Amino acid sequence: MTRLLFIKLLRDLRGIWERIVLMILALSITLVMFSAVLYTWGVTGREMPRAYLSTNPASATILFEPGLDADQMAAIAAEARKQPGIIDAAPRTQFTLQVQQEGGGWGPNPLQIFVAAPDDPMRIENFTAEQGSWPPAAGEILIDRSSFDLLNMEVGEVVIVQAPNGQAASLRISGVVYDPALAPSFQEQKGHGFISATSLPVLGEPVALDALKIQVADQPGLTVPGRNRDVIVAAALDLAGWLQQTYGVAIREIQVPTPYAHPHQAQADSLLLGLLAFGVAGLLLSAILVATMLNGLFTQQIPQIGIMKAIGAKSSRVLQLYLLMTLVIAVASTALAIVPGIFISRAFAPIILTLLGVDAESLGAPSWMYVVVIAAGVGVPLLFALTSLVKTSRTTVREALDYRGVDRRGDISTRFDAGLGRLRGLDRTVLMAFRNIFRRRARFLLSVGLLASAGAVFVAGMSTMAGFQASVDRDKELRRWDVDVRLAVIDQVSSVALTNLVAEIPNVTRVEAWSVLQTSVIPPGQRISVTRTYPDQGHGSIAVTVVPPDSSLIAPPPLLEGRWLRPDETGTVVINQAALIEDLPDVRSGDTIQLSLGGRLTSWLVVGVAGSVGGHGGGIFITEEGFEAATGVSQPNLLRIVTGHHDEETRTAVATAAERALTDAGIVVRSAASVSRSAAAGAGHMLPLILVFLGLSVAMSVVGFAGLTSTMSTNVLERTREFGVMSAIGAPASTVRRLVVLEGIFIAVVSCVIAAVPALLLTAIMIGVLPMPVSLPFQISIPGVVIWVVVVVFGAALATLAPASQASRLTVREALAYL
Amino acid sequence: MNAYHSLQKETKSQHGQQRSETNIDLHQVVKTYETPSGPFTALQDINLRIQAGEFVAVVGKSGSGKTTLLNLLAGIDRPTSGAISVDGTRLDSLSESQLAEWRGRTIGLVFQFFQLLPTLTVAENVMLPMDFAKVVPAAERQPRALALLERVGIRDQADKLPVTLSGGQQQRAAIARALANDPPILMADEPTGNLDEHTRTSVLELFANLNADGRTIIVVTHERDISRYTDGQVTLVDGRVADDARAETDTQKR
Repeated sequence: MTRLLFIKLLRDLRGIWERIVLMILALSITLVMFSAVLYTWGVTGREMPRAYLSTNPASATILFEPGLDADQMAAIAAEARKQPGIIDAAPRTQFTLQVQQEGGGWGPNPLQIFVAAPDDPMRIENFTAEQGSWPPAAGEILIDRSSFDLLNMEVGEVVIVQAPNGQAASLRISGVVYDPALAPSFQEQKGHGFISATSLPVLGEPVALDALKIQVADQPGLTVPGRNRDVIVAAALDLAGWLQQTYGVAIREIQVPTPYAHPHQAQADSLLLGLLAFGVAGLLLSAILVATMLNGLFTQQIPQIGIMKAIGAKSSRVLQLYLLMTLVIAVASTALAIVPGIFISRAFAPIILTLLGVDAESLGAPSWMYVVVIAAGVGVPLLFALTSLVKTSRTTVREALDYRGVDRRGDISTRFDAGLGRLRGLDRTVLMAFRNIFRRRARFLLSVGLLASAGAVFVAGMSTMAGFQASVDRDKELRRWDVDVRLAVIDQVSSVALTNLVAEIPNVTRVEAWSVLQTSVIPPGQRISVTRTYPDQGHGSIAVTVVPPDSSLIAPPPLLEGRWLRPDETGTVVINQAALIEDLPDVRSGDTIQLSLGGRLTSWLVVGVAGSVGGHGGGIFITEEGFEAATGVSQPNLLRIVTGHHDEETRTAVATAAERALTDAGIVVRSAASVSRSAAAGAGHMLPLILVFLGLSVAMSVVGFAGLTSTMSTNVLERTREFGVMSAIGAPASTVRRLVVLEGIFIAVVSCVIAAVPALLLTAIMIGVLPMPVSLPFQISIPGVVIWVVVVVFGAALATLAPASQASRLTVREALAYL
Repeated sequence: MNAYHSLQKETKSQHGQQRSETNIDLHQVVKTYETPSGPFTALQDINLRIQAGEFVAVVGKSGSGKTTLLNLLAGIDRPTSGAISVDGTRLDSLSESQLAEWRGRTIGLVFQFFQLLPTLTVAENVMLPMDFAKVVPAAERQPRALALLERVGIRDQADKLPVTLSGGQQQRAAIARALANDPPILMADEPTGNLDEHTRTSVLELFANLNADGRTIIVVTHERDISRYTDGQVTLVDGRVADDARAETDTQKR
């Protein structure tokens, strides 16, 4: 690089500083987006497992039925630790309380209690006491910090709770704990607390523990919990068999969640995958942007390259010059992007981690990620500009001197132009603008690609939002009832008796007695059920929904396979697609499965597979007759009530009245609440994800417009002479301006057409990637499409207005002397 | 001794020798372009020999092939068939990169629209070919550029950007740039086509002076009255040499 060429480079950059600034800004924005997402991905990916593993989660939980007293369980745990492959063991139990609301009555949100012996060293499934300490005294409880707002509690407060036996008791909140192994309460709409076994008598519950938490190594002798679930299942089954033989205990279930995976790991993985996909999409957009802008910049320099070559410059020297120009832009963009990327990730990562209920030990991204960002920031522009760079530097003098900003055209283009020209009644400026957009085909494709990518992402983001909203609406439509009343099944009460009690309440138009209970799938030949259930007893579990015979509250969900249940039929099930994917991957319509129901091993014929839609409840549907025939009992635990009016006031009044009526009749009510709580739990899971995706879409759109502005500036600059000629032959400034603006609008319109298919594909991918409990309906957001089309067309007009004005102000002399 | 006089002395001493050796030969040169409507032959069977030190005007109507011929002579374009050699060097044997290097040392090019790099000053434009060719030692490049500008009469414009100069001044700057590496051959494509009458005359006189130094000069032009400056004219009609009036003119001049 000679001194003069370096001077030329600096002056060239100064001469087009607006475009260079625009280019650097646009590149920086995408790089900030990419780096922020990458850092967040790195931090979340590191912190979530770290936090989860810091609780030393159990590999498996062996559930006894009935539970044993604490001393006996301690002895069993001690013996279990001696078994091959078992690293540690601890006896525990858990159950759910109802919490009394301020105005009386049991609140809608339950409080799940984890119980351990007071001398339990809490090596397994431990937590951090942020206030107070373990073990809490008898009659005291430690509450998970995310539960305080949900349950409206304070430390030091005495709360009235209802135990599973229906007895009310008081517990004093003695401290605050942080347990990153639990999903946050606002997402689950469920609180979490920790008591010592000494508090069980306070609650009127027997001092019995029914769960043996174990940690299993992949091989005997190892002290690190294993990652292989099959090994854990085998070890847990062996231990359960040994316990049955040695102690004569009854084993109800073995719970083996996915090893080393937080209950929201799938949600986090999907979120991170989505984030990363956006990050890569951002980088791709950035690459297209770079290619577009630099291509324009190099093209504009072609006449000068011709002159330099005519006076003796070799291709390599020209290449050096423009390589340095690219490097200056890439390095400046990267330098600008580094700090904001770090700041944004440091603001963004805690939000994501809070959603997942995890505290970050450090918000610093792994150091290799900074290297990746710098390499991407400098390397990607260079890589994508390389073709243009080499091609431009190899431009021959002849090509350069002949260059007039138009591609060499073949017969097809000529015929296309001729055909356009024969169209009658078409304004010549419009015709010319339309032809002009095809003049530099590579740049046209890049510009269109850039805007189409941004458009596809925006529309896909909006469509996913629309899909989410449609899913909520669909759930509302399918949920034909207004109030859910959950009952503690302590005494057998018939469906008719239950419904009669509630039917008398004013504003109740219909009541149905349902059952929703947990089940597990038992492989053929295995006697003990093994589930994927997490300690919170929610994640990883499968529910069975028992449908009443004359139910009018369920509309059969869309069937993917087979048929819906027939009234009164027995021995048949319809499986929800989500349950099928997770627990019964190989099962199809016509197969037979074994389920553990109420401690019984039952056999069922699968007659249909339903699409995953919300509103109904469980993952497996059976008829009430089928349930009775299989288990010999009828045990409704859920009343679904339809109210005369569907406003929240009526629903709440009916819920309160139903709870009172049932309680007065001696029936233990777990909760009575409007169905809107379920919707809140669903929104708690999904809304943050959607907002993240939409935010990224908007950022990408901004980059798209920056690219268009730059492209149009290049188009105008390289056609300076042409505009001079137009002026010379009498074109007024307004015509030149209109021509340029119309070109921008045409590019925008073509990009909208091109974006259609990618938008459809991207929407389908996003719907597939998002960790929804139910499948989102595929639909394209019409408002999203309209907003994008309007924004892109007006944006294009605005983006081209400055270059258009610049073109229209050129004098003939300036234009013709332009090089 | 000022830079101008040192330049004159150098030009006479160094290139008097080189000029006499640099002949240009074209043998059966054909140039055909592929166009959407089929092949178009711009030059057909051109046989031409230009002696060192000649001042030749290539004339003809628009589309007759004048600029194509000049481009072939300068190595800007390559013939479809036939051979072009300059001082024994076959241009078709050189790569693009070698052609650029050869051009930098051997040819000075002047264009109708001056083609000065807009972001470099006039002096820097003149120094740039010296940077490329590296014939002139680095320390001498600036004084030499200023001397060349002195010679073409725009020394006072040296530090200005081209856009601030008049058309005639820009063309003079372009001529100074063409002389940067003291090439034995100067080629100009319509160098006066964009100039007024007075400036045109002074530019042609400048070419005549440069030719008087012994430099070979080839000018593509429409000018009918250029003959009083040149050794002769080659007239092209439809891509063929219709008339080569150099011999007589040359004789008359001598």
